Amino acid sequence: MMKSFFLVLVIAFTNVGISQAADNETFQVEVVTDSLSFPWSLQELPEQRAGWLVTERGGRLIHVADDGSVNAIPLQLPELFVAGQSGLFDVILAPDFVQTREFYVSYSCGSINANTTCLARAKLSLNPPYTTSEVQQIFVAQPLRKGAAHYGGRMAWLPDDTLLLTLGDGFDYREQAQNLANHLGKVVRLQRDGSAVSDGPFPTKADGFIFSYGHRNSQGIVYDAQRKTIWQHEHGPKGGDEINQLQAGKNYGWPIASYGVDYTGAMVTPYQELPGVTPPLHQWTPSLAPSDMALYAGQLFADWQGDLLVTHLAGKTLQRLRLVDGQWQVMSEHAFANGSRLRAVEVARDGAIWLATDAENGQLLKLTPKGR
Amino acid sequence: MLKTLIAFVIAVVAGAIVGSVIQTQFNLAALIELSVPISLDTRISTIIHDLLNFSPIFAAILALVLLVALPIAAVCSRKLGGSERWWFISAGFFGLLCCFAVVNSLAPMPTLIAATRSWAGLGAMALSGAFAGWIFDRLWHPLPRELAEPLA
Repeated sequence: MMKSFFLVLVIAFTNVGISQAADNETFQVEVVTDSLSFPWSLQELPEQRAGWLVTERGGRLIHVADDGSVNAIPLQLPELFVAGQSGLFDVILAPDFVQTREFYVSYSCGSINANTTCLARAKLSLNPPYTTSEVQQIFVAQPLRKGAAHYGGRMAWLPDDTLLLTLGDGFDYREQAQNLANHLGKVVRLQRDGSAVSDGPFPTKADGFIFSYGHRNSQGIVYDAQRKTIWQHEHGPKGGDEINQLQAGKNYGWPIASYGVDYTGAMVTPYQELPGVTPPLHQWTPSLAPSDMALYAGQLFADWQGDLLVTHLAGKTLQRLRLVDGQWQVMSEHAFANGSRLRAVEVARDGAIWLATDAENGQLLKLTPKGR
Repeated sequence: MLKTLIAFVIAVVAGAIVGSVIQTQFNLAALIELSVPISLDTRISTIIHDLLNFSPIFAAILALVLLVALPIAAVCSRKLGGSERWWFISAGFFGLLCCFAVVNSLAPMPTLIAATRSWAGLGAMALSGAFAGWIFDRLWHPLPRELAEPLA
């Protein structure tokens, strides 16, 4: 409570601008449920009318059934650590989930003085009420650090069935995002069992896991099969949120190049761009705090194929961006649930857009075109 | 009263300027360690940027600290004796140290001012509070020899 109050004071004092957009006539909005506590990620189950898996930052894995009913799925994560920004983060199904029932969750593990981002693999039972089995921690980002901020935690599969996992800089350790000897401020690429890939760009550094570096706190990553590329976004400090095109071995600049400044107004770096640093393809100043990202592909919004959908926490909007001449441009933005902070976005198989709000009484929203 | 107010304002402004310049040096040193080139021009422009953008929020923090710490120092000086000047210097120094600890426990981010992440940076930033305490007492209760100093 005090921390929230202080955040309000800091934001007011440092004059952070927040772009606020009113909702428009685009969507039919259905509140599927409003009984989620700080939901963090959404994953649609592949079986017809099976519903969704939803993580809550507090540590619960939830099944939201097709009728909107909410049931907790028992899941004992090794060393789960919940405080501040830490807790349970992303959930993603294995590429062969239908056969193996395997899914992966990212979460913070450890204690307030020694924690990090971890990855676990588990199996989901075949039928509801769902249970989990064979829960196994398969990756622990190194090193352990103090505090409870900046974990990254989003995941995406590549076509070769290797897994990308974003990792934050731990806030107080921002310079380590440039240090290839650890996993702070990196995107790592793993095999299905959590081991390092054999063809990573830095095979002799940090056990070979690093895919890209120079990241601050990345909470959005998607693989774009159509364009055969990876899109990622990350939080800047005060200003300088970025969308990047991720490539193996590239440096994305934090904290030596940034369009943002520190929350106090102090300069983090005098450089917005530097030689050897891959510049962003879009940057948000002032910061909107991008929290998740999905690539649109579906029938319901036919004109939006290949557009990025980005949810924002501080910005409290869903933005749709389109790639125009190699740069992502905001095409529209929409507010929901009386201007709630938005934490997660996914596109369902039928083309509907699903959102989760970031709140104690978090909502799961289903968006379809108005008038259908 | 006016003299006290003027001394307080000058102490806060001076401490905020010194603190701002100090934290800029720590931030730039961290970049230099990462082999980022920092020319003199870049250093100066960064100092100016931070004076315009960081020092106001630091001045607010410092003013709150001194509002609490200086009266305590004045009381301690009277009750316990010793050099008032050193009580005020200590009040600024330890007041800022306490403030950083309180702010970092309340703020959503682990450390509000990046320069205070290291012990050296924490001490150096607290020295700007000591400097503000010294300035305040130098103006509020100047020593006889200080009064004898020429104005220009």
